[in-house]
Amino acid sequence: MLSWTLFAAGIGAYIWTSRARHIENPEDKVVPTFVQIAQGLAEAALNPDEADEQIADLASAGLWDRFTHSMLWKDTKASTRRFVISIGLLVPAVLLGMHMGLFPVIGAFFLRFILFFDKIIALSVLPILFIAFGIDELSKIMLIVIGVTPTIILDAFNITKSVPKEQILKGFTLGATNFGVAYRIVLKQIAPRVVNSIRLNLKPVMLFLFAGEMIASQDGLAYRIALLRRHMGMNVIIPYVLWVALLLFLVDIGMRYLNRKMHPWFREE
Amino acid sequence: MAIGKRFLTSFLALVLAAPLLHAQKPTFTVGWSVYVGWNPYFYMNRSGILRKWADKYGITIKVQRFDYAPSLDAFVAKNIEAVTMTNMEALDMPAAAGVDTTAIILGDYSNGNDAVLARNGVTLKTLAGKRLLLVEKTVSQYLFERAMVTNGLESQINKVKLVNTSDSDIAGAFISDASQDAVVTWKPLVSQIAKTKGVSMLFNSSQIPGEILDLLVVRTDVLNTPAGQQFAKAITGAWYEVMDQMSKSPKRDEVLKGIAAASQDTLESYKEQLSTTRMMYTPKEALDLIAAPPFKEKMNLVRTFCFTHGLLGASTKSVDDVAIRYPDGSIQGRKDRVRLRFETGYMQLAAQGKL
Repeated sequence: MLSWTLFAAGIGAYIWTSRARHIENPEDKVVPTFVQIAQGLAEAALNPDEADEQIADLASAGLWDRFTHSMLWKDTKASTRRFVISIGLLVPAVLLGMHMGLFPVIGAFFLRFILFFDKIIALSVLPILFIAFGIDELSKIMLIVIGVTPTIILDAFNITKSVPKEQILKGFTLGATNFGVAYRIVLKQIAPRVVNSIRLNLKPVMLFLFAGEMIASQDGLAYRIALLRRHMGMNVIIPYVLWVALLLFLVDIGMRYLNRKMHPWFREE
Repeated sequence: MAIGKRFLTSFLALVLAAPLLHAQKPTFTVGWSVYVGWNPYFYMNRSGILRKWADKYGITIKVQRFDYAPSLDAFVAKNIEAVTMTNMEALDMPAAAGVDTTAIILGDYSNGNDAVLARNGVTLKTLAGKRLLLVEKTVSQYLFERAMVTNGLESQINKVKLVNTSDSDIAGAFISDASQDAVVTWKPLVSQIAKTKGVSMLFNSSQIPGEILDLLVVRTDVLNTPAGQQFAKAITGAWYEVMDQMSKSPKRDEVLKGIAAASQDTLESYKEQLSTTRMMYTPKEALDLIAAPPFKEKMNLVRTFCFTHGLLGASTKSVDDVAIRYPDGSIQGRKDRVRLRFETGYMQLAAQGKL
């Protein structure tokens, strides 16, 4: 109950501001009323984008049919695709970090460079990214990869370092190969912590995704927000922002659930 | 020690008194963003011309630089009293958001500053199916559609794949990625892109003169107060003093250099930008343009564009719901929904030398 107080206060403050502004200017678009937001949401979730083919018979189409032709659906699909690919690309990053932590030669080879690379602000070297990766899908995904992977690599490296040396030695003594130690002893132990580390990095992933979509794109959630900002479409932007928050929240919960299912032995000290 | 203490007290007195001194005079803030036709506001402030005029009318005027989009946001949110913007944004940002807006200075129109450029031998005719980088829903898209319409290619507009690209990255994106076929943007980015090998200009704003206007707008509710009118007079007076210096002063180059500093440009670069800008150095030029019959027709093209692209908001059901009032009293749209006004009174005072 107590945890909802701040939500209630926030919503209350919003309503108050919105009312005050609408009394002064009934056409205010900066702080839309809930009615306007509902209209914006209906517009976004039930109507196709002006550039897309319209549904032939809007009135008779079912709600679900209308939703899957809407601009919200289209934007969500485009952004989700980029998001999933980027998260997928974090898997090799985790493996690299683990090998660096486990095998001193690999660590010596990569560590200094990645420490340096981690401090590069990817957004400030955009023109170089454009030369290397063009301005299409690849550059958006690379922006995320460059922005987030060094952190993940270093984190996986540190987590691997914290695995007790005795276990690794015991593995070797019992005749395990390098491969066996890495994938059957260490990876299993670091997995839950690494998943948590990725969970904490979901927000940076999303930030870089949004930045990429705002720089140049034809679809995506941030593309739409950038367009709507041109004419103060706050009544659609606010539902979009809440939608993104909800999706991120669900992804986070999903990862936590999976983590618990797959590693029931794991307890955070 | 004693000196230190005295210094401290006088310093404190100064700091405490400063806001009080200001509070006696009404304060107005003008927002501007970097553009060849708006950079003079930077010089106006720097050179002391603005302060002179503000003092004459007993007010304080602050000048603040913004990025373009935030300057519009600040104006619509009523954080600033006046701002520089184009006729198109005046319609689709403040006017469409119910903020009654009045244009008091028509400073220039784009006469080649905005351009459609392409590489790999792409022409307007072969643009269909190709990707076009631009900042969507701005004058860039307007220019592109006008280019297609004036060349009889209206039916192909929807076949071009628009890629919304942020203006801070558009030049770099187009120049460094040779697979991109075409781009629409404005100067100085246009000059940078035009220098790239194999890039040619397909269309520019000199082919649609007087359609993309650069204005100084003031909130109408501010203008309806006595102090607001003093402010309008002061800023108009200061503006035309700068215009005089830009066009006639024997130290013209020095003045232009001061203006170019607003965007960290060189004198040469700024002059090059001026060559594709139709500056209205005298109020009479601006007054003639507004009084001429094509003016309303051109505004009609712009407002129709805004409406058909949903820039007036989804809840605006008719183009007439955001009406425009002209100096002759005529109204484009519904009489009870006037949101954008062209007020030539202050430019007229300037023309008559009565400011």
